[in-house]
Amino acid sequence: MASVTTAVLEARVLGEGDWIATTEVCELCRLDLQAVQELAGLGLIAQRPGVPDTSQVPATALPRLRIASRLMRDLGVNASGAVLALELLERIRHLERLAGDY
Amino acid sequence: MCGMEFRDYYKVLGVERSATADQIKTAYRRLARKYHPDVSKEKDAEARFKEMQEAYEVLKDPEKRAAYNELGSDWKNGQQFRPPPGWDAAHAQAGYARRGRARGAPAGGAGETFTDEQFSDFFSSLFGAEARHAGGAPRARAGRDHHARVELDLPEAFRGTTRTLELRHPELKPDGTTELRARTVRVNIPVGVTEGQLVRLAGQGEPAAGQGAAGDLYLEVHIQPDAQYQLDGRDVTVSFAIAPWEAALGAAVTVPTLGGPVQMQIPAGAQSGQKLRLRGRGLPGQPAGDQYVQLKVLLPPADSPQAKALYEEMRAKLNFNPRAT
Repeated sequence: MASVTTAVLEARVLGEGDWIATTEVCELCRLDLQAVQELAGLGLIAQRPGVPDTSQVPATALPRLRIASRLMRDLGVNASGAVLALELLERIRHLERLAGDY
Repeated sequence: MCGMEFRDYYKVLGVERSATADQIKTAYRRLARKYHPDVSKEKDAEARFKEMQEAYEVLKDPEKRAAYNELGSDWKNGQQFRPPPGWDAAHAQAGYARRGRARGAPAGGAGETFTDEQFSDFFSSLFGAEARHAGGAPRARAGRDHHARVELDLPEAFRGTTRTLELRHPELKPDGTTELRARTVRVNIPVGVTEGQLVRLAGQGEPAAGQGAAGDLYLEVHIQPDAQYQLDGRDVTVSFAIAPWEAALGAAVTVPTLGGPVQMQIPAGAQSGQKLRLRGRGLPGQPAGDQYVQLKVLLPPADSPQAKALYEEMRAKLNFNPRAT
């Protein structure tokens, strides 16, 4: 196998204001397109409209989508259940933070 | 495969060997609700959940379950195990033979993986390291962006770091055959990346056929648990031991932070479990996270006559009932 070494590459963190293709998100989160669109429809994430191959979601939504994906896959809940669980988990975390705050 | 331990998948899921597919699914779902790392507060949730996933991966699949059952019921959980002679050959046709990487994305580099879960050597010895993807949709697609996961520890996320990745992709040779080419690249990971965040390396994905632009390489950041700090978004929490008189009277103390030790004032009357906030001392960002210092009051032992006398004096003079507060 041939091998080449290249120079140091600069990585760019995707944050607020960055959008990635919904099709990429599907692969990253192991979700199908319909599931991502359903989660977007339920308000879990924003979605920049387009035909399925060109629609986009915020890069910052990835962690939420991955958790929703895991809940759906591992616990067998549907999209509504995953969104509800995720919102409750985030609410619990927020309240725990407030309770522990000085 | 030396030193490998047998795993009793039925025991892991708490079902009988005669359990039906529905019973296995129900048991898995019930345990998953308890131990799923996204929802559980159990201390060993992640390890337990991985065990359960591995057990379910085998027992939900009739072919894998039948192969596993062939090992017999005499094995005990944790017993030293070696696959029976001829196991690979006998089960290769069932689709369990080890597979190569499913797509031409980066390989190598410490901790970079494609899967969420790492199954045990026991599982790999029986079904191959890539068996969990057997029968799944094909993941390779020509000209696509590539994805990989990069594992960082918390100090690396705080100050930024460099990772070496090996990128592999098939290349068409003039004679029409393909050759797997590898490139080693060093990637600067910026400061302040957080769990689950994406970093993009433009043009480092799969080269396009012809004159088109190459795809991008996406790295998904995973921050490993830290022994000292608990991470929550960009905020970190550290447990900090103090003496009773520091809690009661207040004190100036030196506290560790990701950026180095800082001075912090403990207010008089502080209590064990109370959290103090050091604003902006978490992971860098816009805005930066905070560090929470959770106080833990440790009592000096009453292991000398003087110490006992002090405790006796407190009991006599303080008129304190902790259960009345």
